[in-house]
Amino acid sequence: MACVGWSSPMISCLPPVKRAKPLLGTFVSVAVEGLEAELANRAIAGCFDRIAHIHRRMSFQDGASDVSRLNRDAHREPVEVDADTYEVLRLAADISMHSDGVFDITASPALSMASRLGSPGGFPPPDARARWSDIELLPKCSVRFARPLCIDLSGIAKGYAVDQAMDLLGDYEPPQACVNAGGDLGHLGAEAIQVRLDVPLEARTMLPIVEIRNGCLASSGPRRNETPFSELEFVDGAARRIVSPRFVSVLASTCAVADALTKVVMARGTSCSAVLRHYAAHALLNEQLSAWREVV
Amino acid sequence: MDSMDSRFLLLPIVALTIIQPAQATTYLSIEQAQALMFPRATLTEDFRMLSPAQVAAIEKACDVNVSTNQLRAWKSSTGGWFIADQVVGKHDFIPFAVSLDDNGAVKDVEILEYREAYGSEVTNPKWRAQFAGKSRESPLKLTKDIQNISGATLSSKHITDGVRRLVVTYDLVLAAR
Repeated sequence: MACVGWSSPMISCLPPVKRAKPLLGTFVSVAVEGLEAELANRAIAGCFDRIAHIHRRMSFQDGASDVSRLNRDAHREPVEVDADTYEVLRLAADISMHSDGVFDITASPALSMASRLGSPGGFPPPDARARWSDIELLPKCSVRFARPLCIDLSGIAKGYAVDQAMDLLGDYEPPQACVNAGGDLGHLGAEAIQVRLDVPLEARTMLPIVEIRNGCLASSGPRRNETPFSELEFVDGAARRIVSPRFVSVLASTCAVADALTKVVMARGTSCSAVLRHYAAHALLNEQLSAWREVV
Repeated sequence: MDSMDSRFLLLPIVALTIIQPAQATTYLSIEQAQALMFPRATLTEDFRMLSPAQVAAIEKACDVNVSTNQLRAWKSSTGGWFIADQVVGKHDFIPFAVSLDDNGAVKDVEILEYREAYGSEVTNPKWRAQFAGKSRESPLKLTKDIQNISGATLSSKHITDGVRRLVVTYDLVLAAR
């Protein structure tokens, strides 16, 4: 973010304030430009507090989180959860419905790899028939599962955390701000930022860049230099099968929606225009060593 | 958010590797982190050299490798400790700071700096030679660093392990006095 193109020269040359913390299992950075340092730091501290709260409530690994309490007990009795958790569950259900169940928080690959993630344990084996529609959202932030099942909110909660931080930053009216939670990012401000899409570089000559302004971006794909394509699991929630991974980025007005829709595009490729249109989102898609395609 | 704008661009890699061979973001200096974590406090440097026996004890207690025997700790006039340390990231060291309360419980963690190379291939002259002369074809004028990356989520486990190691270090070294 540079000091050009802003309407007010008075504030445009305050140096950016950037901080980063390990949260949500990844690196979360918050950058604010155009505010006095003290105010910027107060805004950023507020963001991190907000994100830490979401992390505590929706962590799959933490045995005391809402997610763990639900996975343990919600098939026996209604479990009251935090308003944030409830909102994420409501949003997840909405996206599951509009994607015909391709996005399904009961079918996360993390659940089949619970040992790798460090599952908190103590929950019953999920019923193989369990689907997103078995999650009943009751009044007063109560949630009940119609059968034993396991949810993992880590992706959509990361996006939701970015959205909440962006909302909070918006109250301070910074000329420019950006929150990036391990590649789920939101931007607000007059000047677009450039984001590098982290595809494997081997045999590539061109680097994919997305310019984004006043919007959100999330990506899903193979880890560069770390994990071969074949070792990553992405699941089609409706078909209940592992899909071959591609690199997917989704641009949307909220980061929670962008993150969730990466899973839908991952599973269904170019045939998910309807759900993208419903959320006014669009996607960039790259199959291994092939050209980029834009899905709108 | 209103009026989202976005566009997708393909930039010759060589253009970026010349301008910005590695991703590097500085978040806080040690002094800035100290001021944020211990406002209005005086911090007194209390650096230690860990003995081989202490290193062994720390590694045994937390099951995390101790890569340096230097402990950079500051004691706060308002109680608690500030420790500056680093862990091995994906490509480079990640410097970070931890604040502990009087009982050695973690109060806060701040990443001080984050550096990431594009991958080992970009430092290979043969690999780079294939892009020679292509930088002027760039459709994008890069006047500043690209600070953000979006892709498969990077794990912060190394930092979590590093923090755990420092909590044990406090118990075995700083508190044991």
